[in-house]
Amino acid sequence: MLTMHDVSKIYRTELIETYALRSFSLEVSAGEFVAITGPSGSGKTTFLNVAGLLEEFDSGSYLLEGQDVRGLSDDVRSRLRNERIGFIFQSFNLIPDLDVYDNVELPLRYRRLSGADRRERIGSALELVGLASRARHMPSQLSGGQQQRVAIARAIAGDPAFLLADEPTGNLDSLMSRQVMDLLEQINDMGTTILLVTHDPELARRAQRNVHLVDGQISDFRVYEPRPAASAGSAGTAGAAHI
Amino acid sequence: MSLDIRPTLSALLRNRTGAVLVAAQVAIALAVLANATYIIVQRLETIHRPTGIDENNILVVESAGFTPRFNQTASVQEDLAYLRAAPGVIAATATNSIPLSNGGNNDSLVTRPGTARHGYINDIEVDEQGLDTLGVRLIAGRNFRHQEIQPALTRNDAAHFVPVIIVSRALGEYLFPQQNPLGKQVWDAFDHPATIIGVVDPVMGAFPASDHPERVFFLPRMPDEFIVVRYLVRTQPGERDTVARLIESHLASSNPDRVLNFVRPLSYFKNLSYLGDSSMELYLVTVTALVIAVTSLGVFALATFNVSTRTKQIGTRRAVGARRRDVVQYFMVENGLITSAGVLAGCGLALAAGYWLSVRYALPRLELYYLVGGVVLLWAIGQLAAWQPARRAASVQPSVATRSV
Ligand SMILES: Nc1ncnc2c1ncn2[C@@H]1O[C@H](COP(=O)(O)OP(=O)(O)OP(=O)(O)O)[C@@H](O)[C@H]1O
Ligand SMILES: [Mg+2]
Repeated sequence: MLTMHDVSKIYRTELIETYALRSFSLEVSAGEFVAITGPSGSGKTTFLNVAGLLEEFDSGSYLLEGQDVRGLSDDVRSRLRNERIGFIFQSFNLIPDLDVYDNVELPLRYRRLSGADRRERIGSALELVGLASRARHMPSQLSGGQQQRVAIARAIAGDPAFLLADEPTGNLDSLMSRQVMDLLEQINDMGTTILLVTHDPELARRAQRNVHLVDGQISDFRVYEPRPAASAGSAGTAGAAHI
Repeated sequence: MSLDIRPTLSALLRNRTGAVLVAAQVAIALAVLANATYIIVQRLETIHRPTGIDENNILVVESAGFTPRFNQTASVQEDLAYLRAAPGVIAATATNSIPLSNGGNNDSLVTRPGTARHGYINDIEVDEQGLDTLGVRLIAGRNFRHQEIQPALTRNDAAHFVPVIIVSRALGEYLFPQQNPLGKQVWDAFDHPATIIGVVDPVMGAFPASDHPERVFFLPRMPDEFIVVRYLVRTQPGERDTVARLIESHLASSNPDRVLNFVRPLSYFKNLSYLGDSSMELYLVTVTALVIAVTSLGVFALATFNVSTRTKQIGTRRAVGARRRDVVQYFMVENGLITSAGVLAGCGLALAAGYWLSVRYALPRLELYYLVGGVVLLWAIGQLAAWQPARRAASVQPSVATRSV
């Protein structure tokens, strides 16, 4: 599903080279819910960006659903992001000048879906996150938790294979965090593979697998029991970890 | 390909201050551009109206006797003989006025003696080489004969008219609508008759700024005694300046009883007549260029501002699947909407300004294709000015979505 082998990502500035990812190898199976933890600067966001085709990497190999993504054109990467990957950001990243409906519609428009198809997908995505009645609200008229749920609706409206979330609860209080986590679990239960970056060990424990990063390398990983409700995924069969 | 106008428009409407200002700028630019271009084109058309005169190959010579011994009749004969024999000269005539100079003589003509007179008509005194010197074409009748050329008027017999005249086609039509003017009689201010023996066309007289500069008639008479003497000299094409130097040095010293005032190209006097138009054009062109420059700058500044305040949004759009060209298109569509609103308002403004100008300055009403041309031009300028910022937007990395807060 997602296979990284020996991936390195180096940020070069005039003064220093930073290995944000160092010989990073990870395999994620379809339907898994993986939490990525680690201290600040350990490379969590970098991993998510590389995995989500937001950034290129310097060496190693990365197969996304069996496809080698190295050297793909910008347009193809855009299309893969659009159709196969959903993003959830710490600061929600809703377009402030578009209402809830138009925000959720954004990836569907870039996908050139028909109006009727878009309407249907937006409707069910907003239904799922419980904000169908807020379709014509502006982001500024919503609470943080509601905004993040809109962002989740936007991420899943296109029915992606992967959901990549970078500290999705980082800006939310604990109640709202739990709501968002419930939602992510629900989505995972429907078969979407989720990679979740978080600082919160409580939340991380709710994933089937934890990958702990230090200095761009995996220092530890833990496997938890699959949730009883889980209908998909293959928890506990993760690949090797570099220590 | 869908242009995604609806969401772009609704996002734009939530952030309208800058957009409204730039649209207003576009509107003003369109009003200025359309009307200024129209006025300039009209002035250019005025300047380049056909005159029927070989403007570029004619010299104007002016001299004045200043001693009691000066004999004008003899001097004119001597000068004309010299001028006509000079190398490079095609024809020369003595005259009272300088064509196209906005200075000259008027007379009033009527078609029946003793009737009320209205308006003045430009008259130009020439001899039998007058028409050839100007280069105007006879379309009917004949030229003056040498023996028909009347002697110069003196202070005492200013009331004399001439037996025959040649009229412009426009004057003929004015005096004798729907009739052939040839052979018809006309009467001057003192009810002296003259017969029309020829018709020329096209021709413009001495007063290009008047309402009917093409209504003019030629009198066969030597220039009046009590004014300076002027000659028109037509040269071979390209010989004008050479001939000017030659005759200037000769006439300056050929007669000690008179001074040579000047030898100048006819085009000098024409340019002088249109000096106001030329400076008006320069002014309008400058103002229009400035307004357009400021407008493009406004469009560019707004687009640049929008791009730089929206980098995170652009990164997010890229993250959820926008290709580079989708980002470019987003900003071009946004700019197109602003420019469209501007030109739409500008059409109203331009028509209102055109109407006001036409009433205030008695100009013809703005013609619509100047408006259409202005709309197209401003639209193109708007898109051009937004292009670079849009390209810059497209280069925003998708990782900005996760890297910026
Ligand atoms: N654009 C960049 N240029 C240079 N260095 C960068 C860049 N982005 C990240 N880095 C460096 O790469 C390393 C990994 O950064 P990354 O953002 O992946 O960490 P992180 O684990 O997400 O941290 P945090 O928990 O604070 O979000 C850090 O040392 C960071 O300074
Ligand atoms: Mg991070």
